[in-house]
Amino acid sequence: MSVLNAHPEHDHAHEYGGAQTAQLWLKTAILLGLGVYFVYNILTGNLTNYVNERFAWLSYVAAALLLVIGAYSAWHLLTAHRGGHDHEHDHDGHAHGAISWGILAIVAVPLLLGTLIPSRPLGAEAVSGGVNISAVESAQVTVLSIPPLERNVLDWLRAFNRETDMTAFDGQPVDVIGFIYREPTFADDQFMVARFTVSCCVADASAIGLAVQSTETAALEQGSWVRVQGTLQVDDFRGERLPVVQPSQIDMVDQPAHPYLYP
Amino acid sequence: MNHESRAPLRRLMLTLAGIGAGIVALTALLTSGSDLGTLLSIFSTRFLGIFIEAVPFLLLGTFVSGLIEAFLTAEDIARVVPRNRVLATVVGTFMGFTFPVCECGVVPVVRRLYSKGLPLSVGVTFLLAAPVINPIVLASTAAAFGIGEVLIGRILITIIVAFSIGLVFAVAARPQEVLRGAPMPAAPVMGGSGELPVMPLLSALPPRKTPLAGLRDAVSLAGDEFFEMGRYLIIGSMLAAAMQTFISQEFLLTLGRGPIISVIAMQGLAFLLSVCSTVDSFLALAFAGTFTTGSVLAFLTFGPMVDIKSMLMFLGVFRRRIVLYLILLPLLMTLLIGIWINLNLAL
Repeated sequence: MSVLNAHPEHDHAHEYGGAQTAQLWLKTAILLGLGVYFVYNILTGNLTNYVNERFAWLSYVAAALLLVIGAYSAWHLLTAHRGGHDHEHDHDGHAHGAISWGILAIVAVPLLLGTLIPSRPLGAEAVSGGVNISAVESAQVTVLSIPPLERNVLDWLRAFNRETDMTAFDGQPVDVIGFIYREPTFADDQFMVARFTVSCCVADASAIGLAVQSTETAALEQGSWVRVQGTLQVDDFRGERLPVVQPSQIDMVDQPAHPYLYP
Repeated sequence: MNHESRAPLRRLMLTLAGIGAGIVALTALLTSGSDLGTLLSIFSTRFLGIFIEAVPFLLLGTFVSGLIEAFLTAEDIARVVPRNRVLATVVGTFMGFTFPVCECGVVPVVRRLYSKGLPLSVGVTFLLAAPVINPIVLASTAAAFGIGEVLIGRILITIIVAFSIGLVFAVAARPQEVLRGAPMPAAPVMGGSGELPVMPLLSALPPRKTPLAGLRDAVSLAGDEFFEMGRYLIIGSMLAAAMQTFISQEFLLTLGRGPIISVIAMQGLAFLLSVCSTVDSFLALAFAGTFTTGSVLAFLTFGPMVDIKSMLMFLGVFRRRIVLYLILLPLLMTLLIGIWINLNLAL
């Protein structure tokens, strides 16, 4: 970190100009605002729209640090403003660091985007380059020990990866939640029940899905969340032979609290 | 704001980068058929995802280096460096563990260490290695990519490049031909070039502080640094999020799958974006799906060594010819290693 740039020469007294005072207040407001924004994300659960739950604790750290730094900045500003400056500072150059308008504007962007645009997880519209039908292999060997009805979309794709003969899954019961994803290349009665997987944060999000064959397909809206129950049967999907869900029931459901799956 | 007025070039580049990103985003918006609100929402989610994941590391990094600055002096470090040149260069590679600084913080530390008589080659190695070989950067890289080939590759490439360039300097260079001006006085040296505020790191401070004063300075510094570093992070994240949202997958794959062009593209991006090494992993993550592993590694190793802001700071310490070496050697080495990885390792 450039620890170093932040010590302006101590060439001026503790009188701030009007613009500088405004900059210092705005800086303080942005720090506190971002702190509150992190707390808000944590409390509302919106955090899971952005990062893997595994890293949620980092946001707690960020919230705490932002609030402490912001509070310190406010305190420093208030005491300096009284003109007194009686506290025993031998080296208080730091908090003089008024930040230029340009930088303040840039750092305010995430705060503005975060508060003005309603928080939504990535959905069907965010899929680029198609939905994967094979999951990235991981060291997990436990997937086959998960009972079929408890497997999510990711578990199923991992299970498919472990098996060379896809017909081994014929007749297995499926009960998964995901969003509807359709492409023009799909057959009229086919769709995918898809999820995004997120290892770190949404920067690495990639879409995966199970193929479903249903006469109800035309009535299903792209992107809406559904629970699909049925059985697997190897079938043609986009020219490939793979296990396709033959649903017995498709229910509309609310978006789950954790919209992403964590590999 | 004297930082700013003294860095017109930096400000110009920043403005240009911002305008460029804006134009790219706008054109892509206007040419794509999708609904504007939806695209904006996706862009916002992607951007905030990188931002929210990166901010804790940015804050921790500034806070920890503030604490170290308050409680550890350059003299402490200079004292433990061995006399043997090769051994000292090895030490230089791993000195980042005692001074967790990113590329922007490392230059003034090096300057200060030189004034304490640190061998030239050790300083060069430290300069190039410390922004990666330190606990916070390794933690953020592991968070982004997991403990795997990217993390290991980042460490190895950085060590190889920094150590070799350090050795070149150990064998071939004399301090008076390398460093700018007279040997640094022990007193604080203010931006020798007049181009950048190379602030005295440890020099202006009293040798030891009370814990309370040190803590207070660290908190205060973290606040200033959050804005200084945060802007690069924010502009970089906006660019990465815009790229993922607005630019077609096919185009990105064309660029990103080329074993040579992808490395060059990612090096250029690393240089221009100047994103702090503590958080550049999260940006690299946005490219990892479409770009070759070699190019992602080049981004993660070349960027911390050389970018616009560190280049300007180099000019305050080293002679111009040496700055050229310090840019070209890492550039070529990471380029070759990146291409080699793409061609020979199926990562």
